[in-house]
Amino acid sequence: MTAFIIRRLLYMFPIVLGVLLVTFTLFTLIGGDISQQIAGKNADAETIAEIRHEYGLDKPLFWSWDSQFVNHFKKALFFDFGRAMDRERISSKILRGIVPSLMLTVPMFIGVIISAVSLALIIAYVRGTIWDVSAVVICVAGMSIPYLSFIIFGQYFFAYKLDWFPIIYLPEEPMIKSVGLPILIGILASLGGELRFYRTIMLDEMRNDYVRTAFAKGLSTTRVLFKHVLKNAMIPIITNVVLTIPHLILGSFLLERFFGIPGLGYLMIEAIGARDFFVINAMTFIFSLLIVIFTLLADICYAFVDPRISLK
Amino acid sequence: MRQTKAYLIICCILAAVWGCEKKKTAADGEMVICRPMISKVQTLDPTNTRDIYSALVVSQMCEQLYVYHYLKRPYQLIPLLAESMPAISDDGMTYTIRIKQGIRFQDDPCFPDGKGRELKASDFVYAFKRLANAKYASQNWSVFDDRIVGLNDFREYSKGFKKEWDVDYSKPVEGLQALDDYTLQIKLTRPWPQILELALNDYCTSPVPFEAVQHYGVDIVSHPVGTGPYRLKTWQRSSYIELEKNLNWRGELYPSEGEPEDQVNGLLADAGKPVPFADRIIFRIIEEDQPNWLLFMRGKLDVMYIPKDNFDKVMMPDKKRLMSFMQDQQIKLTIFNDPSTFWVGFNMKDPVLGPNLPLRKAISRAIDRQKYIDILFNGRVQVAHGLVSPGLNSYDPNMADYGYSRFDLNEARALLKEAEAIYGKPIPKLTLAMPGTDTLPKQMGQLLQRMLEQAGIQIQVDYMDFPTYMERQNKGQCQMFISGVSASCPDAMDFLEMFASKYFAPGSNKFFYSNPEFDALYEQVAVMQDSPDRLAWYRKLEHMILDDYPAAFMTHRITFYLGHDWYKNYKPFVFGYGVLKYHRVDVEQREQFFNRIHSSKKEGK
Repeated sequence: MTAFIIRRLLYMFPIVLGVLLVTFTLFTLIGGDISQQIAGKNADAETIAEIRHEYGLDKPLFWSWDSQFVNHFKKALFFDFGRAMDRERISSKILRGIVPSLMLTVPMFIGVIISAVSLALIIAYVRGTIWDVSAVVICVAGMSIPYLSFIIFGQYFFAYKLDWFPIIYLPEEPMIKSVGLPILIGILASLGGELRFYRTIMLDEMRNDYVRTAFAKGLSTTRVLFKHVLKNAMIPIITNVVLTIPHLILGSFLLERFFGIPGLGYLMIEAIGARDFFVINAMTFIFSLLIVIFTLLADICYAFVDPRISLK
Repeated sequence: MRQTKAYLIICCILAAVWGCEKKKTAADGEMVICRPMISKVQTLDPTNTRDIYSALVVSQMCEQLYVYHYLKRPYQLIPLLAESMPAISDDGMTYTIRIKQGIRFQDDPCFPDGKGRELKASDFVYAFKRLANAKYASQNWSVFDDRIVGLNDFREYSKGFKKEWDVDYSKPVEGLQALDDYTLQIKLTRPWPQILELALNDYCTSPVPFEAVQHYGVDIVSHPVGTGPYRLKTWQRSSYIELEKNLNWRGELYPSEGEPEDQVNGLLADAGKPVPFADRIIFRIIEEDQPNWLLFMRGKLDVMYIPKDNFDKVMMPDKKRLMSFMQDQQIKLTIFNDPSTFWVGFNMKDPVLGPNLPLRKAISRAIDRQKYIDILFNGRVQVAHGLVSPGLNSYDPNMADYGYSRFDLNEARALLKEAEAIYGKPIPKLTLAMPGTDTLPKQMGQLLQRMLEQAGIQIQVDYMDFPTYMERQNKGQCQMFISGVSASCPDAMDFLEMFASKYFAPGSNKFFYSNPEFDALYEQVAVMQDSPDRLAWYRKLEHMILDDYPAAFMTHRITFYLGHDWYKNYKPFVFGYGVLKYHRVDVEQREQFFNRIHSSKKEGK
């Protein structure tokens, strides 16, 4: 397994380098020059040139030891992403955004997983009944409603009409109060799709012989579902769960924007809107790194939950 | 049993955290102003501030030499950090300004012992030099380019350094002298009658102590150190800004004079009282309309704009009064002209549009501006007949008779035929550059496309993000473009400047409009002091622009502003931002509002 992990870690370098290359090329060649934007509407050519120099945009793109890409690569390697267009350090922006994003996405993620898996087990158990059909209909309806509608309705009804939650994130209130509603909305909006996914997995498992045998031996329904079926359905669950974790760190774009939560999702949206390539590049790099790491973690987890899998 | 216990513990923890006291609440009787902000603040460094959101915050903390009187109209400049109005030499080239004594910067760790030091005339010299420092690359430099004797040389000199703070600020600039600790002298390269309005009244010339720049370096953007009534307490970027009273502030009294109706409107009720009234100011940065609106209706924001989607629900059909349910909640509406002009600009270097005046006029005649306003803006803007907007000194109400703003499809078609004769063949499809990719720009683009099609003019709309748009515009790559400008002072000179050929893009002349006759007259008028003659020349310049039609002027903005009844002393103030010190919240009245909401909720309304 050690050899497998080392080999996979070595694979990371070309993958991450490739991501850096692609994002850099896309943003610099297609995105154009951002110096005019930083310099302001009526800036003279000198000011624009000075800004180009300050941000290293006057250097060659690729073919030099001091090229923009090499500098970009070096910065990424040491996690020193430099300064954003508003001259704040990008690392400070990212560090500041992680906690609010995680405060929102982790409970949302746990809530979705626990409720979707539990409900999926129950629905799989009552498959073919009116309960199963109703659940599928509700899931499809939930999936069909745009995420934004959940947010707009939830904010209006639960926060404004019922006054159960603050309308937006209020720094002067405990964080948990501010994120309560976005978490609830996030769970409700994601439940439909997740529930359908896990229901399919559980149904596949429920048809296996070992389930029939377990019931025949007289085991309780709870024991069969939560001990035997759940354990055997772990591979797709792990894949889904582990690969979702990097997205948690990136935050939730829409929820953060509508509730004014200063997380990484909001940061990313703002950076895209302002064409702040320095922030976008940094975030893309971190995201790709997380994806690679968590894919490796998922592979390792497989070996732990399924003895038939060995990592070589 | 174990599971039940675990659930109970989790529930207890959640309930405890949920119900725990607020981290900080408004203390009893504490006056807090809460305002929405629909865009993030870029910087709190006044010298590089250009966007209105940053300016709104910066202006509460930093002050400049002069400011417009809060209540008097027409707008009248009065000293702020200056002791009196400047002594101007007969040739209009030298301004000598006395600075108030005893003004202190706010306390800050950048000073020895953390105590703010006294403001000196040399701080203004430093502020101007910093603005000129090429390595600092201020967005505001274009205002000062070639205006002050020796300042351009200082800019040249600064280019020889690697970093902004390597530049030696002790290098003298002939046109900027601190004659003593409290006297500043500015010598101009040529008369600049608008210097007070455009420069000395602008937050970009607010003094920033050199100690702060040295102490914070690049991070000065988030550590403003000013002389104003407020100081920064918290800045959670993209989310929340909180200002608190600056205890070092010298103090000032609420104005006792204003317009006659100010007395009736209660704007003089606080006359002579010390300001600032509010203990804290909170800006909530939320870019979406719905949460802002809900917060306002819950009383969590004191003032609010009317979002487009809510406009018809809250305004009477006459668009002048609020619906009764809004009035019942004692919400007040203020409507005022926000001096600004928006247009469809033509690139005069373009081989199709540039030499073809009838084509440009045909485009203007084909646009039904009133329909455009009704469909897209719920009547929140008014038709622009010319360049200069209402609210500016040289606005000409008779301009409607002069330009080509009237919708006339038949005339548009006739002009198009004339245009085709000049071009020698049918006019090809034109391209309109539209900044923004959201719903509104798309609706604007589609509507214009449809209107022009009716006259037989085909256009293609290119939607792009703002930086791309700016880049193309500055390179002269936009054939037609949607653009606009907001006035920063009642003098329309910076509107007219956009058509002088010396300001070709990347300067303010994005039309690449060049008319030697206009340029000559502009140069002549630009150095004239304010007088009835100058007003007539301003109008003549505007007529010249309309004769050549480098832009089809479309709209002027009207602002509809809502405020709760407890928010006092609000008067539209369009040429500056540092007026929140005059605003007051009636804390008791606000409390009554919350009680009303609480009881109506209990009653299930």
